[in-house]
Amino acid sequence: MSKGQRLGLIALAFVVMAVAFVIARPDDKSEEPAPERTARERASEPTATTDTRPEERVALRAHKPVGGMRRIVTKKGELVRLVVESDAPDEIHLHGYDITREARRSEPARFSFRADIEGVFEVESHEAEHGGGESVIARLVVEPS
Amino acid sequence: MIFEIAHGIVGRKDLPIPDWLFGWAAALVLVVSFVALALLWPEPRLQDGGFRPLPRRLSRVLLSRAVAVVCGAIGVFLLGVTVWSGLNGVQVATANFASVFVLVVFWLGVVPLSVVFGDVFRAFNPWRAIGRAVAWVAQTAARGPLPAPLRYPERLGHWPGVVGLLAFATLELVASSGDQPESVAIATLVYSAATFVGMALFGVEAWSTRAEAFGVYFNLFSRISPFTRRGDQVGLRRPLSGLSEVGSLPGTVPLLAVMIGSVSFDGIGEAPLWTGMAPDIAGFFGDLGLSQQMALEAAFLVGLLAAIAIVLGFYMLGVAGARSVGGRLSTRQIARAFLPSMVPIALAYVAAHYITELLYRGQAIVELSSSPLGYLASNPLGDEGTDLFGTANEPIDYGVISATAAWYYQVGFVVAGHVAGLALAHDKALAIYDEARLAVRSQYWMLAVMVGFTSLALWLLAQSNG
Repeated sequence: MSKGQRLGLIALAFVVMAVAFVIARPDDKSEEPAPERTARERASEPTATTDTRPEERVALRAHKPVGGMRRIVTKKGELVRLVVESDAPDEIHLHGYDITREARRSEPARFSFRADIEGVFEVESHEAEHGGGESVIARLVVEPS
Repeated sequence: MIFEIAHGIVGRKDLPIPDWLFGWAAALVLVVSFVALALLWPEPRLQDGGFRPLPRRLSRVLLSRAVAVVCGAIGVFLLGVTVWSGLNGVQVATANFASVFVLVVFWLGVVPLSVVFGDVFRAFNPWRAIGRAVAWVAQTAARGPLPAPLRYPERLGHWPGVVGLLAFATLELVASSGDQPESVAIATLVYSAATFVGMALFGVEAWSTRAEAFGVYFNLFSRISPFTRRGDQVGLRRPLSGLSEVGSLPGTVPLLAVMIGSVSFDGIGEAPLWTGMAPDIAGFFGDLGLSQQMALEAAFLVGLLAAIAIVLGFYMLGVAGARSVGGRLSTRQIARAFLPSMVPIALAYVAAHYITELLYRGQAIVELSSSPLGYLASNPLGDEGTDLFGTANEPIDYGVISATAAWYYQVGFVVAGHVAGLALAHDKALAIYDEARLAVRSQYWMLAVMVGFTSLALWLLAQSNG
């Protein structure tokens, strides 16, 4: 194979893969799938586009989330409000964002923050952690906007 | 039900790469492989990478006793701070110098340094520094040469390093409190003691180049670098050519299997495949009478060992295939010969899997250098104490890399590792087979092995971890 043929082969492979990349990549604005929402959430969502989203509520019984670990999906830049109700005093920690809030029986832990860090973050019950059990009560998934 | 266990230091995890990027990257790997097969060189080029010395004065400074003493002292100091802060500081993995330094800055950070600058860890290796200092003191006190250490047994090879890395992976990925500062400090002390025993028996240099797990681990990656040392000269060689001798010592094949297998297990640890299986395995151990936590740890240990065994098995399958094409080489010879290809692939696994953790979590060391015992402004568990350099409140900047950029880097690392692995396999095949026909046919097998490992790497990146 001559030098010209070699360079041609490399150029061809490069062009093919570049074109494939452009075709495969979803359009940033329109085709991006909407974050997963439950029917209840979708129903309660205001029709006008705002950057706030409905409050996420997690209920704890004996430091365990009722109905299993929650998954909260959001987009970067959205305002997230998370309320953790607990039937016993607890301390709730959101990793990455490093926010800690106290929860009491009468007074849930309230988080309100702008989701400006992309990634997957754990929400943890410090009481469950001290008890040596499973401490993650929810995961916050922040997707690129 | 989701089971949770230590996974290094958690906090933030990567979003899985989207399906379209996974598909595109997989196609890219295949295209690159076939283009490479058509284009790669006809004569071996990486077996002897040449050596061009850097200016003599530079070598003299870099390899001087003063530099060795300063680097060694820095290593020993950091070892000391790790143990001290781990035992005395706040017992929160993300808020204590010991956990962040060992699991992030050291374990992940020294990898890119080794790949770019060569075997820098050798200079900073605290155990080697202490060993040499002790030998020097003993020699001075005895006013003469010390009795020679035992000869390092050939058959021992890198096996102590395999055990060391496996123990480290167990601490990081299996033990439920493995990332806790106190566990890290105690593990450091135990490992130090074991290392000193080894050095006392077989000599400081023999032990630190063949058996000391971290020395062996970082040295493997440093062989990718163009910088190397020959005698009292520092010089340049062709990148990757330093890998041609990898595999000459017994135990190197399992060493690479532990490296790739443990990263794979970390990647799959929260994927549905594993979280669906783990409770059943834990249940089995629970029935045997282990406590809930012990049963879970036992299940994770089984998972880790299984991941390593699968990696090893897959590699040996490719080796068996390469052997089937003919030639006079034994399975063991072929397994060792193609091992250099596995080093850039192992690097790709590490780089793709941990780049964001290093970039984000590594920043915590700025804060923790000022306050090694641990303190986080937002974390009331911390104790507002020392602030040595005025950086104790430095927050982590999550803007350094976006999730989308991280995806592209991850895919880039995997593909680059694949290309490097291919080039090395091709070069080695040319060197070990006299017949060109056998060299080509053995390579098809190794190509299949590498496409397999690369696809696994991409698949792991695409796994949901949320």
